[in-house]
Amino acid sequence: MSLDRLQADFAAALSDGDAASSLLTALDPCDALSARRLGLYRGNVHAAWDKALVNAYPVVRALVGEEFFATLARAYGHVHPSASGDLNEFGLHFSAFVHAHERTRSLPYLPDVAALEWLVHRAHYAADAPLLARERMAVISPHDLLAARFGLHPACTWLQSRYPIATIWRAHQSDADVVLPATLDRAECALVVRPQWRAEVVESSTAEIAALAQLRAGNAMDDAIGAAFDADAKFDFAKTLVRWLDLAVLTEIY
Amino acid sequence: MQDHRSKASQPLSGAGIGLRTPHYRELLARARCVGWLEAHSENYLGDGGYDLHVLTRLRERYPISLHGVGLALGSVAGYSMDHLRRVAALVSRVEPALVSEHLCWGAVEGGHFNDLLPLPLTRAALKLMCMRVTQMQDVLQRRVLIENVSSYVRFAHNDYEESGFLNELAARTGCGILLDVNNMYVNQCNHGIDAATQIEAIAPDHVGEIHLAGHLVTELAVIDHHGARISDVVWSLYELALRHCGAVPTLIEWDTDVPALDVLLDEAHSACDRVDALECEVSCVA
Repeated sequence: MSLDRLQADFAAALSDGDAASSLLTALDPCDALSARRLGLYRGNVHAAWDKALVNAYPVVRALVGEEFFATLARAYGHVHPSASGDLNEFGLHFSAFVHAHERTRSLPYLPDVAALEWLVHRAHYAADAPLLARERMAVISPHDLLAARFGLHPACTWLQSRYPIATIWRAHQSDADVVLPATLDRAECALVVRPQWRAEVVESSTAEIAALAQLRAGNAMDDAIGAAFDADAKFDFAKTLVRWLDLAVLTEIY
Repeated sequence: MQDHRSKASQPLSGAGIGLRTPHYRELLARARCVGWLEAHSENYLGDGGYDLHVLTRLRERYPISLHGVGLALGSVAGYSMDHLRRVAALVSRVEPALVSEHLCWGAVEGGHFNDLLPLPLTRAALKLMCMRVTQMQDVLQRRVLIENVSSYVRFAHNDYEESGFLNELAARTGCGILLDVNNMYVNQCNHGIDAATQIEAIAPDHVGEIHLAGHLVTELAVIDHHGARISDVVWSLYELALRHCGAVPTLIEWDTDVPALDVLLDEAHSACDRVDALECEVSCVA
């Protein structure tokens, strides 16, 4: 049997235990023991899927329970098998998968929580960047500030949801400073930041996100402030700027 | 190139341990406590972040070995040049003392199993592995070590014993051999292939590193779960390997239910004791 045929048969046996007969003829011994041992490899594949998703989606797991999460992980892997030797990429489609899964319909916020967790997961591995020194900001004139463009930290991303996803995320951290709200039908914006080494989620606003979108697009602070005021006439720019420095959102000024 | 070489860390010697997340803080906090560290390349392929930061900090204190688990070199289809380039970027960044991968396959077109799957030890598999290892060494601009894996099933048709396959691979590509003594023993249990014979048949000059780990005996098969202390029989085979290959740098691997750092250090000391005993034996004979 050629090597590519043998690997294709092995792959078929890993995907479906009932599809092992072709591979078995190439094994020694060609018996029930080898068939059962192939199950160990299938178990390894499922364990790798579960481990990768547990790592990336701890809040989704807490929300649905370990048992159902394991079921979801296996179903996900069959639809979206790992495509990389880097398992950190495995969970890319999990939010869309959860969205389409009929058994998660009772938790309508789940796809957005998953999408947020993916941003946090990616933020953990995002490039490092030097922080913008407060001293730089202290000496800049208002005119120059408005004309300046800013680099955003590569880990900084955001997500708007019809559900309170930032609050849900924060309520599930070991150092939780909020509790799960009684009703989950409130819209929320979430900002993902990495102020130290740990990626975190903070509650954001449509105004703040409108401003950050302008900065990320390479537009000047003046445009960012304009977009924020369009979203919310009560936008507090001074307070937001301090928050961006605290959360390591800004990296460069140019 | 010259500059690159001068920055490369010192060669490995003595015993090392696998770098695992639960030990990050302690390793950063305490003084150097073991000869070297081995990191799984795939855990550090990100552009930045905490894991790479820790590895970079520890790199200042320890020689580092980068051990790949994701290239799946022996895969006919689904082999990824992109993954190799990511590993190459990590190697440039870390400048490790050693880089290694496995004698295995793991991917097909459109799917990766993220496991170290066994290859049939045929001429066709050797030809493919030679091509991939040569390419890997060309891209990384350095010699790599290739490790024997454990397996639960065995193929009916083989042209080589595992030791003969590895010797040929090393002779044809210039790569080194990473001898996993526990995997040899696991295969002895699972397939009746005598581990001592295999170890003694390995060309000793090619062996650049030895791996030791614990295994799990189950009714179905012996599994190299890397979740226990090294068994007495594996220690005996290690002593045999040392007599055969000399004092090769040796890694203690632990991946399942990772214990306190001191447990790994204790195993590392046990490995060093055996190296010392061997050297004493050799000098006494001389």
